[in-house]
Amino acid sequence: MMKQAGSSSNIFSIKYRLKRLKRDSNRWSIFTLAIILFIALPIISIGVKLFAGPGETWGHIVDNLLLDYIGNSLFLVFVCSFLVLLFGVSSAWLVARFEFPLRKQMEWLLILPLAIPGYIVAYAYAGVFDYGGSMDLIFRWLGWDFIRIDIMNKAGLAFVLSISLFPYVYVSSRAFFLNQANNLLEASTILGVGEFKSFFKLMLPLARPAIIAGLILVLMEVLNDYGAAQYYGVNTFTTGIFRAWFSLEEPETAVYLSALLIVIVFALILFEKWQRRNIKVSSARSNNTYIHRKSSSKFSQFLILLVVLIPVVLGFFIPVLQLIYWATLTFEKVFDLDFLMLSLQSFGIAILTAMITVLFATFLIYFSKWSFLGFIKNIARMGILGYAIPGAVIAIGIMIPTLAFDKWLIGALDYLFSIKTGLLINGTLVALVYAYCVRFLAVAFNPIESTSLKVSNTIPDSSKMLGVGNLKTFFRIEFPLIKTGILSALILVFIDVLKELPLTLILKPFHINTLAVKAYEYASDEMIMEAAIPSLFIIFTAALPVIFLNKLLIKK
Amino acid sequence: MLNIKSLSKSFDKGKSFALKEVSFKLEKGDICAVVGESGSGKTTLVRLIAGLERPDHGSIELEGTEVSSIKKLVSPEKRKIGLVFQEYALFPHLTLLENVLYGISKQKNKKQRAKEMLELVGLTAMENRYPHQLSGGQQQRVALARALAPNPSLLILDEPFSNLDAMLRMQLRSQVFEIIKKTGVTAIFVTHDTQDALSVADEILILQHGEVIQKDAAANLYIKPNSVYVASLFGNTIQLNKELQSAFECPLNANCCHAIRNESLTINSECEYVTYANVLKKTFLGDNIQLLLKLDNGEQLTVLTKERNIADKIKIGFNSKDVLEFTS
Amino acid sequence: MKKLMFGMIALIMFNSCKNGSNDENSQAEAQNQEVNVYTHRHYEADQELFKKFEEQTGIKVNVINSNADELIQKMSMEGEQSPADVLITVDAGRLTRAKDQGLLQPIESETLESTIPSHLKDAENYWFGITKRARIIAYAKDRVNPEELTTYEDLATDKWEDKILIRSSSNIYNQSLLASIIVNNGEDGAKEWTRDMVENMARSPKGSDRDQVKAVVAGEGDLAILNSYYVGQMLNSSDPEEVETAKKVGLHFPNQDGRGTHINVSGAGVAKYAPNKDNAIRFIEFLVSEEAQEVFANLNYEYPVNPNVEPAPLLQEWGEFKEDTLNLSKLGENNKKAVVIFDEAGWK
Repeated sequence: MMKQAGSSSNIFSIKYRLKRLKRDSNRWSIFTLAIILFIALPIISIGVKLFAGPGETWGHIVDNLLLDYIGNSLFLVFVCSFLVLLFGVSSAWLVARFEFPLRKQMEWLLILPLAIPGYIVAYAYAGVFDYGGSMDLIFRWLGWDFIRIDIMNKAGLAFVLSISLFPYVYVSSRAFFLNQANNLLEASTILGVGEFKSFFKLMLPLARPAIIAGLILVLMEVLNDYGAAQYYGVNTFTTGIFRAWFSLEEPETAVYLSALLIVIVFALILFEKWQRRNIKVSSARSNNTYIHRKSSSKFSQFLILLVVLIPVVLGFFIPVLQLIYWATLTFEKVFDLDFLMLSLQSFGIAILTAMITVLFATFLIYFSKWSFLGFIKNIARMGILGYAIPGAVIAIGIMIPTLAFDKWLIGALDYLFSIKTGLLINGTLVALVYAYCVRFLAVAFNPIESTSLKVSNTIPDSSKMLGVGNLKTFFRIEFPLIKTGILSALILVFIDVLKELPLTLILKPFHINTLAVKAYEYASDEMIMEAAIPSLFIIFTAALPVIFLNKLLIKK
Repeated sequence: MLNIKSLSKSFDKGKSFALKEVSFKLEKGDICAVVGESGSGKTTLVRLIAGLERPDHGSIELEGTEVSSIKKLVSPEKRKIGLVFQEYALFPHLTLLENVLYGISKQKNKKQRAKEMLELVGLTAMENRYPHQLSGGQQQRVALARALAPNPSLLILDEPFSNLDAMLRMQLRSQVFEIIKKTGVTAIFVTHDTQDALSVADEILILQHGEVIQKDAAANLYIKPNSVYVASLFGNTIQLNKELQSAFECPLNANCCHAIRNESLTINSECEYVTYANVLKKTFLGDNIQLLLKLDNGEQLTVLTKERNIADKIKIGFNSKDVLEFTS
Repeated sequence: MKKLMFGMIALIMFNSCKNGSNDENSQAEAQNQEVNVYTHRHYEADQELFKKFEEQTGIKVNVINSNADELIQKMSMEGEQSPADVLITVDAGRLTRAKDQGLLQPIESETLESTIPSHLKDAENYWFGITKRARIIAYAKDRVNPEELTTYEDLATDKWEDKILIRSSSNIYNQSLLASIIVNNGEDGAKEWTRDMVENMARSPKGSDRDQVKAVVAGEGDLAILNSYYVGQMLNSSDPEEVETAKKVGLHFPNQDGRGTHINVSGAGVAKYAPNKDNAIRFIEFLVSEEAQEVFANLNYEYPVNPNVEPAPLLQEWGEFKEDTLNLSKLGENNKKAVVIFDEAGWK
């Protein structure tokens, strides 16, 4: 016994650990590290600047602005959380639990607000409530006095962001209600617990991890918003970053503010991870059946439809109708052959980026799985941090290392072969796609990871025991089983790239333009009506895959 | 053919051990059962041998070559080990035939071999079906066929029958081991059920808290368990503590532990050591009757008996040759 | 479907590579064939002019559209390898910043020097104004007596308490306006002016210049401060409601008795490492030519910098006005100071 105790402490000595580290590092560990480094490089380049200290206006910002930034950002976080939960969870529950007319249509209509960029929704709502706006016209037509609602303030911003982002929560909580809730519901019905009580006492607490996972995505987007906050005159961390960088001309200070923002987001991610510990307990019983829908009286069915319609109308129909109205006013001016070419380019870039990003996300998930080193698996999750960083900051972060590489390459080519070249990565599609990849890896990572967790480890293990290596196992066994996750990831990244703005502005090559940039060009020149047509193109290009995505998600 | 030396694995950097200093050997053609309660390290042992987990210490030799040590690890796909999981782990998107073909896709007569294997497990007629169309027992037979198809040098079955109900389980158990014996493959059979182990294994290895408690031929284990724990794994045992010893008036070596199997107790017949007892309660269990007894010196004792006619006061006893003695 | 998709992607990749290699070749052999423009301006007028320039000279115009701030950041990072030939911004402040960061080069051009009035260009010829816009006051015709409107400074008096509508201080035109007040009235005067202005605001700053006009008509306040050319655009908007709205306000050009109305320029400079320097100069010369200035004036309702060109008829209706002839480089020098003062005064 004594000998064993001695040796067991011995085998965890540094020397032994190093030996094992050497034994256990395989090429997958190295590949994972390489990918993480590739993804983290722009973030690190920005992070390094932190050591230079903030600029001289840091004190000025702390004295005059920081409180406002923190206050407004917190206000948005709380109010948006409340509204998003209200819209997202209630609609998910009603759609999953009850039978009512147009339910099938509502299922995908409720995801559609995702197809509209938040800043476009903000412009559209401003247009609705403006003097001489649509509401005004309608009221005048009805012969009523116009009661002007001022939406351009903090509360309005929270409303606009919530109404365009609630689908994240809707999607994640609906998945739970559809697939996990049935047994519990039956049990609670047998016990004679009423519908309301079983929802609040049973379903809500159990669905919490799923709901919060969606909520975190929403909050990252909320904290990241620039266009809408800027237009509505609300100072947030992100508008502050832009102000410090460009108006106060101090990139160092902007980096400090981004670092603070990243800390907040990181805290959110940790919180989500912490609360997810419980999910293992709650989903351990996987023999749940698909939910049985309840049908009720005609009247209550009608009521349910009305309630579900609220977020659909607010988040999709009102902004889209406003845009369509504007589009009819400006159609001749904006629409031409060039515009069609631009739409095609936009579409192509989004598809290309989606494929590359999904590829990287899949690599990251599986390579780290095949690596035997525990810490590699933890590091792999770092790859999703890019989503928390404002697009403009990522763009700068991309330029630092790629320019260094470009300059080195130019020097080397000149020195070795006397070849004179220009920049090979910057200002080309490579840099742009790289940046998208860094930004949207998290978007691809989540659906792929969650479907891959549903495949029991024994399945790939069996394949390995039959003499088939990791890569082949992936292509022959795992890939067919996680196809839906990969498709969801492709669609989500595709939509996000279509909508992305600040990063595209900075990194896009000559000759290439996207719909979002076009919409921005008009909007930033206060030609918001002209921005309607490119916006509508984004919405419809994104809406089709969204409907398809819904089909994937409700399949068991 | 399999030689394991002081294998250790900890999942929390040495705070506790899932497997601790495990060493044993298997000869070619042996069928060895690994028995232990859940959490005893059975599955860790299996995954270490298969190469799906990496040991912190110790070495594994397979057919004379080292496949795992502190310096070297042969990846699982190169170890030529067949593994059958508790949850079958068939590839859900492949047909039965494709499942069996999967591991032998490089062989020449793969189709023929796969069909032979399916025939061996009696599922030829279903080769074009998908796993979800099969019953649990059928799925497990496919998993066996799939694992045996590449002719592994070692076959590991990890709790293969625990997802099945009792009847099917007995039936499948005999079928499966018939097949295994026919192929002559060396096999490790992991189970928490001693019945399973006793009925098929040549040798049994008992794990508790990640350590090997005893490894011996099946019959020996039953006759000569080296601890109360092992004894109680293989049937009802009654520990002979001081009070019981005084009741039966059998002074035993005070430095050792003693126990007696329930089946060695006699009722109303002459033995070396006897005592009288009042029957407090009789519980009918079908093939047995459970008796709660109160001995003369006030001690209570639960025993099982096949005897149907039990009076309120009985004489029970045992012989000294049936007393199991353990040094620890 | 899949084939189509891959085809498209291949096409785009090919295109971008081709463009990339174009840029490379341009340095070696095809020097006369293109000019790369980084511009903050994205008006139809500009696109039309770029096409005209291409037709007339055969020089291809490649454009990157973005915020001037981001373009400057991009140029400074690209350094010697930057493909940019011309930087165009919508204010003088950013051009001064680009000059200070060593991103521009002085150019010698007879045409430019003789055409552009001296206060509308850099003293050392690093950049040149191409169009002018004035920061003016729009007032509610039914509530404000135009006689009462005098100067920017007057807006800060108690007279206008809760009556003024103006956008956020993150807007460069507001920053330039304050910079001009710093130069004219000193830092302390500017601080006082900013504080009093915040007091006088009818609502907290938000929206665009056009939104300020709408708010005046809606009755939220009486005065809006905005750029002249937005009024022109509103009066020619696709939305009949906007035209109606714009007709309901009167316009006032402040400080006519003193230094003149604050103006700003949209300007252009040649990048320090311009690979196509000659084309770049030709391009800027074209932009201030009478032909081009007509387009700016008539399509975009900006004031031309070329004295030989008349403003659009609509602008002529507003009458001539005296402009502040403060050298615009000063705006850039005081821009950061202006932002700090805004923040301290709580001007959002």
